[in-house]
Amino acid sequence: MASEKEFISLLNQHQKIVYKVCNLYMDRHSDREDLFQEITLQAWKAYGNFRGDAKFSTWLYRVALNTAITFFRKEKKKPEIFSTDIIPEQPEEPDTLIEEQVKAMYAAIGDLSKIDKAIIMLYLEDYSYAEIGEMMGITANNVAVKMSRIKIKLKEETQKQLATN
Amino acid sequence: MELDELKSLINHKLSTDHTTRSAEDIAVLLTKKTGSVIGKLKRSLRIEIISCIVVIVLFFYLGFAGGYRSLQIYFSVFGVLSFIFLGFIIYLLRRTIQLSATTLPVKSNLQTIVNIIEEFNRRYFQFNMALIPICFIFSFILGYNEPKHIPELDNFAKNLFSAKWQVIVFGVVYMILLSVGAYFFTKWYLRKLYGRYIDQLKECIRELGAE
Repeated sequence: MASEKEFISLLNQHQKIVYKVCNLYMDRHSDREDLFQEITLQAWKAYGNFRGDAKFSTWLYRVALNTAITFFRKEKKKPEIFSTDIIPEQPEEPDTLIEEQVKAMYAAIGDLSKIDKAIIMLYLEDYSYAEIGEMMGITANNVAVKMSRIKIKLKEETQKQLATN
Repeated sequence: MELDELKSLINHKLSTDHTTRSAEDIAVLLTKKTGSVIGKLKRSLRIEIISCIVVIVLFFYLGFAGGYRSLQIYFSVFGVLSFIFLGFIIYLLRRTIQLSATTLPVKSNLQTIVNIIEEFNRRYFQFNMALIPICFIFSFILGYNEPKHIPELDNFAKNLFSAKWQVIVFGVVYMILLSVGAYFFTKWYLRKLYGRYIDQLKECIRELGAE
């Protein structure tokens, strides 16, 4: 029988992972809260079968991404646009070039498909292509091809965003 | 600007700006209800199981306690069919619960969810469609062979029809309309329940498969 206390303690230590996934997949605050709750519940249900042969963080990523990808809202009141509101604004000072670029890259990541977002998330966490492939259920070669395509797409989108600003 | 050049900044931003939850907050979340489609499917399967049990008890009661032999056979057969359907729903619920307890790779997880929902849709549709001809055939056979007469039904038929061919035409039109209506309604209902969701999951699977 899985220990609830143990699970809560582990999730508490790794909650940044869940928030990252929520921030990446959900635009609105209320949706992020709902997704956080859903990931927590799914992780708790699956925790009984977590044998510890993988790191908890890797296991939690898998649960969180599975939940986020299969989590659909019935109706969207506005189109899903990746929010940049999680980037702290400093209105007094003009944005530096690097901040502008980060914002533009953020927006570009927000326009990616659910699958591409998952791959990017794991890439940002420095997982190898083989590890990403294992989590996604595809080959490392396929991950490499997708990553290369995503990088080009992000570069183009970021340039477009910067040009319009 | 390349992704790799902004990697650490984006990663940092993604993980920092959020409301940190305490252990108590997380403990409260564990008591909440799931809002996922699989969670909803589980709930609807449980409701189907309860409804099925109620229907089986009712059908067998009517089958054994019914005054007319035709109704006894009719409800007993439907009771048996509902019993078979109950077995299938329990099997599907077990598969759904198993899925919640395992952590599969993304692609396998998507495929398993699609398989479960499609199987549910397929069997639900087959069960509903199979009931229609069985219902008609039994109604006719048992109606003709019923040793006792149902006065209310006889009076109704006498008032409505003057010739035997009218009864046959009415029966055929009624069967066609009911079959076509039930076919399209069941298709529409299942599509409304999970159609869009399955399409979205299949799109993700297709994307994962493509190089």
